[in-house]
Amino acid sequence: MSTPSIVLHSHKPGSPPGDLAIWFFIFAELLAFGIFFGSYAFSRAHHVELFNQSQLLLNRESGAINALVLITSSYFVVRAVAAIKQGLDRECANWLAAAIGLGCVFVVIKLFEFHAKFSAGISLSTNTFYMFYLSLTIFHFMHVILGMVILAAVMLKARRGGYTPEEHTGVETGASYWHMVDLVWVVLFPLVYVIR
Amino acid sequence: MQYQSQKVAMPYFIAAIGLFTGQILFGLIMGLQYVMGDFLFPAIPFNVARMVHTNLLIVWLLFGFMGAAYYMIPEETESELFSPKLAWLMFWIFLVAGALTIVGYLLVPYAGLAKMTFNDLWPTMGREFLEQPLPTKLGIVVVALAFLFNISMTILKGRKTSIALVLLMGLWGLAVFFLFSFYNPSNLVLDKYFWWWTVHLWVEGVWELILGSLLAFVLIKVTGVDREIIEKWLYIIVAMTLITGIIGTGHHYYWIGTPEYWQWFGSVFSALEPIPFFMMTVFAFTMVNRRRREHPNKAATLWALGTGVMSFLGAGVWGFLHTLAPVNFYTHGTQITAAHGHMAFYGAYVMVVLTIISYAMPVMRGRAANSEKAQVMEMWSFWLMTVAIVFITLFLTAAGILQVWLQRVSDTPMGFMAAQDQVTLFYWLREISGVIFLIGLITYIASFFVGGETKEAA
Amino acid sequence: MNTPPQPHFVRPCTRIWLALITLTAVTYSIGEAGLGGKNIMLLVLGITLLKSQMIASYFMGLRKASPMWRIIMASWLVIVGGMIASAYLMGLQ
Repeated sequence: MSTPSIVLHSHKPGSPPGDLAIWFFIFAELLAFGIFFGSYAFSRAHHVELFNQSQLLLNRESGAINALVLITSSYFVVRAVAAIKQGLDRECANWLAAAIGLGCVFVVIKLFEFHAKFSAGISLSTNTFYMFYLSLTIFHFMHVILGMVILAAVMLKARRGGYTPEEHTGVETGASYWHMVDLVWVVLFPLVYVIR
Repeated sequence: MQYQSQKVAMPYFIAAIGLFTGQILFGLIMGLQYVMGDFLFPAIPFNVARMVHTNLLIVWLLFGFMGAAYYMIPEETESELFSPKLAWLMFWIFLVAGALTIVGYLLVPYAGLAKMTFNDLWPTMGREFLEQPLPTKLGIVVVALAFLFNISMTILKGRKTSIALVLLMGLWGLAVFFLFSFYNPSNLVLDKYFWWWTVHLWVEGVWELILGSLLAFVLIKVTGVDREIIEKWLYIIVAMTLITGIIGTGHHYYWIGTPEYWQWFGSVFSALEPIPFFMMTVFAFTMVNRRRREHPNKAATLWALGTGVMSFLGAGVWGFLHTLAPVNFYTHGTQITAAHGHMAFYGAYVMVVLTIISYAMPVMRGRAANSEKAQVMEMWSFWLMTVAIVFITLFLTAAGILQVWLQRVSDTPMGFMAAQDQVTLFYWLREISGVIFLIGLITYIASFFVGGETKEAA
Repeated sequence: MNTPPQPHFVRPCTRIWLALITLTAVTYSIGEAGLGGKNIMLLVLGITLLKSQMIASYFMGLRKASPMWRIIMASWLVIVGGMIASAYLMGLQ
């Protein structure tokens, strides 16, 4: 039996990894977040004092830890794609499991953060800053959940041996979506928690 | 036609076209009342004509959706309908209930109708688009449940395709959100808040799923493109529709007493609502360009492409024009809304129902497509109606812009009626376009009676 | 069956991962120090755009994709970054 060669592009050359349809979805999502980021920035311009004061009350540690968690999780997903390209489906599934595990860590930290805010009586109607803080983080939070569901579906299929070094578009599709979730937090964290 | 029970769609389609005609006639009456206030008064006051115009639209579209489901589901699931008898029974119940309701609107003063139909016991009437008396509303629920039972059982016993499941999801959503029409809180803010759960989540939510699956079905048939490709698009369109449409409800919550954050949610998410419509346009054209066969039914392909373009223009572009809160602050409830409403309903829902009728009717009449002559006539009707609706939209937009200016922006704002007097020219032009639309509709109906040489069903 | 060698993108991605961790730590320290103002904002924003481009190019694999995809992604970053920066400067006045 000859050594199978690595398939670098299981799809049309030049198109990004994963199913083309997911990229429409990714850019539509980025557009939505982009509009939200812009709205935040321009609202801040009108209420600089309010935003700077309210920002001090955020839990910057949990925001930063969550950034590290998602970045690392994204890296694990890269390793999962690498593993499936080598035909190592168990390893691929394990990397994905680790990535999902980190996703759970993100969710738990975020829930503590939300709990603290809600028990302090903060809601969407408290002020413009908290309206944005809560909407942006909750909207992103829902994307983390959706991303974890997608990764879990991919992981189960990988565990069943459903992907091969030649055909693993599903893994790349899930990976691309998860990187987008990471990317959004990488912008959201400095914008809402740090820049003042 | 592959399955005998598909034929039950035929009466639904015929009723749909009949009620469509009624809707247009009442539209013309109202259009004239805009400029001749006492036309047909007191026999048909404006508010009654408007109620009949909008209610007929909803009812005939529902007939169209049901007919489409009865036609598509046996073919998609590869099994006969669970109970064609039940479908026939529901057809008559729905038609009679609908007709009685319209007759009630026309013959009895609305307050009297409310008294006669036990509105005191359970008040649900008097709200725009949900004016139906209680018995009619209950009838709609019964018909919808029986219909969904029939469709769901057929899907359960047959092949489960994405198109069938998306359609089923849309239809169940339609039924579930209609239930909010029974909820009528005395707090006016809450009343409006939940009213939109029926109205908005229908036309900017679950109906779009129905639209997507109908379009996908016809595109598979006329282009022969692989099901997997079409389904992938359908999934993405559905996901985008739900993400933008559900939170997009917020664009109705700007000025009704709901918290301020709705101005942000509504603006951001509804601004994205054109995306799924744009994707539908790209979808339709890509599939037709990649077609693997030349289907003899050219008219159906034209309707499908038309749906893609006009739904994007009407729902997407004209919706976006006045969806942002700072813009809507000025345009709310003006003729801009009417312009958007006309093109969006025509472009998205009227056209998709006409698409499926155009595809399915010839098949049910035992041929793959109508004769060349009949198709040419149908295409004429397509252009007449579509161009007419474009002009109706443009004239109403012009009227709306002028109205906003005179009534709300200018330094010396006019009263409502004074501003209306200034835009009569546009209302006359709109009425003329309406007559052309009617001519288009008559042409459309006539095309069913044109004979000629036809191709046998494949 | 022999396992094929590890794909060549793993090592660069590992380095990118470490860089992202470091840059996040820098952003966090700036926040902890309570720094603010135009120059700090530009620095933090610059780091953010750099990180985003790294994720897009390496993790998402866009550096191997055709220019169209890279341009779409880059313009998203430029527009979002531009909006944030110009809104910030607006707020200074």
